[in-house]
Amino acid sequence: MNDPGRKTILWVIATFALAMFPQFVSMPAPVLLATLLPLAWRIGSEFNNWKPLPALLRHSATAIGLATLFMSYGDLSGRRAAVSLLTVMLALKMIECYRIRDARLVVSFSLFLCATQFLFAQGVLMPFYGGATVILALVTLTQLQRSEAWAHEDEPPVVKASLWSELSFSFRLLALAVPVGLAFFILFPRLASPLWGIPETTLDSKSGLSDSMSPGSIQSLFMDDSPAFRAEFTGPVPSAEHLYWRGPVFWRFDGDTWKGGYYGRNIEASARPEPSEGSWDYTVQLEPNERNWLFALDYPASVPPDTRLTMDFQLLRRQPVIQLMQYGVISNPEFVDTPQLRDALRLQALDLPEDRNPRTRQLVEEWRQETPGDPEFVSRVLRYFNQERFHYSLEAPLLGTHSVDDFLFDTRTGFCEHYASTFAVMMRMAGIPTRIVTGYQGGWYSELGNYVLVRQSDAHAWTEVWFPERGWTRVDPTAAVSPLRVQQGSMSALSMPRHFLDYSWLRGLRNSADVVRQRWNDWVIEYGAHRQAELFAPLGLDHMSPAMLVAVLFFVIAVVSAFLFPIVLRIKGPSHKDPIQQAWQKFLKRLERAGFESLPSDGAIELAEAASLRLPADSASINQIAQIYTRSRYSPDPPPFNDLKQAVHEFRPNKNFA
Amino acid sequence: MNSSAIASEKTGLSQRFDSWILDRVRQRRGIAELPLKFEYRHIYVMPTRFGFWFGLLLALMTLGGLNFNNNMTLMLGFLLAAIAQLTTLLAYRNLVGIRVDAIRARPVFAEEFACFKVQLKNPEERNRFAIQAESSEAVDCADISAQNSQQLSLKQVTLQRGWLKMDPFRIENRYPLGLFRAWSVIIPAAQCLVYPKPALSPPPLPKTGRGEFGAAHRGEGDHFHGLREFQPGDPLRRIAWRTSARHQKLYSRVMESPSEEACELNWYLMGGGETEEKLSILTAWVLRAERMQIPYSLEMPGAALPADLGEEHRDACLEILALHKS
Repeated sequence: MNDPGRKTILWVIATFALAMFPQFVSMPAPVLLATLLPLAWRIGSEFNNWKPLPALLRHSATAIGLATLFMSYGDLSGRRAAVSLLTVMLALKMIECYRIRDARLVVSFSLFLCATQFLFAQGVLMPFYGGATVILALVTLTQLQRSEAWAHEDEPPVVKASLWSELSFSFRLLALAVPVGLAFFILFPRLASPLWGIPETTLDSKSGLSDSMSPGSIQSLFMDDSPAFRAEFTGPVPSAEHLYWRGPVFWRFDGDTWKGGYYGRNIEASARPEPSEGSWDYTVQLEPNERNWLFALDYPASVPPDTRLTMDFQLLRRQPVIQLMQYGVISNPEFVDTPQLRDALRLQALDLPEDRNPRTRQLVEEWRQETPGDPEFVSRVLRYFNQERFHYSLEAPLLGTHSVDDFLFDTRTGFCEHYASTFAVMMRMAGIPTRIVTGYQGGWYSELGNYVLVRQSDAHAWTEVWFPERGWTRVDPTAAVSPLRVQQGSMSALSMPRHFLDYSWLRGLRNSADVVRQRWNDWVIEYGAHRQAELFAPLGLDHMSPAMLVAVLFFVIAVVSAFLFPIVLRIKGPSHKDPIQQAWQKFLKRLERAGFESLPSDGAIELAEAASLRLPADSASINQIAQIYTRSRYSPDPPPFNDLKQAVHEFRPNKNFA
Repeated sequence: MNSSAIASEKTGLSQRFDSWILDRVRQRRGIAELPLKFEYRHIYVMPTRFGFWFGLLLALMTLGGLNFNNNMTLMLGFLLAAIAQLTTLLAYRNLVGIRVDAIRARPVFAEEFACFKVQLKNPEERNRFAIQAESSEAVDCADISAQNSQQLSLKQVTLQRGWLKMDPFRIENRYPLGLFRAWSVIIPAAQCLVYPKPALSPPPLPKTGRGEFGAAHRGEGDHFHGLREFQPGDPLRRIAWRTSARHQKLYSRVMESPSEEACELNWYLMGGGETEEKLSILTAWVLRAERMQIPYSLEMPGAALPADLGEEHRDACLEILALHKS
């Protein structure tokens, strides 16, 4: 009676399945199973007419589902875990979903589930996922409405809508909603600050540079082609050699791993550069990475909000970046960083484990005697890297305890981090203060979008050495080994593709296609109060109060609706074909072919009488069909529908008697 | 017929709202004159329960989107809101232009259901989906294809004979998503004739004869048929005194003798007893005489029909009984 029926239940399941899909792929296997099993049972029960599970079994299924969830996630405070809870609960609801109300609950929560997925990913493909979910939900709700309308009767009506007409109706409904939805989106006032806290962990895994560097850590990033950030310059784009995007800076070295220094992280820059003639002015669109670093070129003269500039010129944001964020920076490359080095810092910049790398220490001591000047010593080491047979390659062999020794004398094959680390150790051995800077180098300039795209694979490590008066000076040992790396990007320096789909034309295509993503980020994801203000600036309305925005919103909706309503009024519903009517139409067509024209005003019985006069030979079957039709239509106890279909099918009027 | 399921979904608040609307309609438009074509001013649109729930969900979605500054969540919320807004228009449009042509009901016997047939006509070139007629007791639903008519039937409980006025009802629809209900209230003039309830075990048919009721039986050999409780109208000599004394309750002998003669149903010959009970018995006699094909005449205060047979005669007799003024 109040049962939605098999077809509709399958639609409910389909809607839910599509809505949970992105969540599904990120759930641990046990939770996945806890989601799939109830659904599978329900589908099976629909096809095999299994009985509803007894309450005890249902409750224990729920308990097991929740237990699985707790065991897999530990606690349910994370956002993924919370959404998994919703998913599992909805799946479990399906085993006891036998009423229209329950089915509607599942469908509306599926839409909610879909909305939560945008918290995890907002890529260009997500709107398609959202749109498809909405269309399925609309089809399901339409069917549920029909079931509800006939809930009082024992049998649903015989009319049926084709899948196509249902889908297209939902699609048109969605399409017609776009103008008003868009008006809301553009004009709805945004919150200046969140009403409640945003949880820290959102992304499924952190990506990008980390707060330490050991051999191999950047190498893994090299396989990752996802965008790290994009930078849009107001003036000309600096040449590739200048595009050193500064990230984490490392001071401490324990022989294997480089780590950040206490001072570096906690002391703010004492002297800040001033913007000058040669400064670069640009906006960075940073992809979420759940880390605190904001990337900028040397040396940032302005600091984005909620961010501090440390003494080694890292931009550290108070909160990790969990959403796409945009910030403007001005960088002054002429700045002199720390002309006078404090002793504490100098000590840290020279510190090395004593018992490591004896061969390198010996070599450095020899060279130091021959080359006492600091700049000259730096040049000598770089020349050594350049002239000896060092290789820039992804396939770096493993290094032992004396990693610098192994690298310098044996393997001689490595990656930017090997060179930076080795160079820094050699400098420190020679008494020249040195630190390691990691970040990104270069980027791909999109002419179409006029921005520089920096991917994770552009990650790089270089060093800074300190000279009296000149301060910290950037030295990139990788450039000495492989100048191409710095000039043309990380890919060009490699002799072989990273994986079987790694062709330069494909990379080019992907780079060009990134403009879609950049625009999407820029106009949709990053749309906010700021953009709203920009939009109204040409009208002389710089600062719209929320109340004014709402007023404009209603005005726009009224205008849009005035254009839209005539279209909406013409929209057709899903065509519910009436099989009885269809059979009758077929009958009329056959009569027509035999030479009898029916009048639209005729009722079935009058029509049969008139047709019998015209086609006396067939009068028996004509009358029979008319009777079955009338009974199917009006009798409280209609004959099975197939009677009419059969009779019409067998009806072959004889023309000769006409 | 499943009125309880529908009634249970209504909360007290929505019931009060419905009766408020009903009062307004009664004041403004009064009893509907047929044919009635639904126009703009006849149609109300309000969210359903599911619609309110959906709205709450959308508000949550939008609030979350605003808080997390998540534009895609916001966009989804706004789109769904825009779709919901569109469906108000679609629900309204699904109803507007439909014509209520006629409301009829066949006479029924008291305590049966009166079944009012509401004839709806869709004069336009588009289909109407899931149009519902709903009264406080019943609901019916149908699609109405382009330029077609449909009958929706609303059942109503009958308690007593006479004219039964049809309760006010709504023609409504929740098309397409069930979020909004567009409806129009109709206060119909339609009535259903309710015949008296036929007595369950009436005395045997009175045979033709003048004077005292049942006189025709005197000369005949009685065929004893059985005993049953005494009912008003039973002749005194039929009372089985001995049995009655034993059970301290009056029992009559039931005598039956098939006959080709006509019978005379006469109010004045039935003696005392309650009016309604007498009418019940007369109704039962009419039906029995018709079934046994014995011509029967009816005489009532203020009305009389000569002996006859056939459906028309029967209906005429029943109508007189139904409308008898006590």
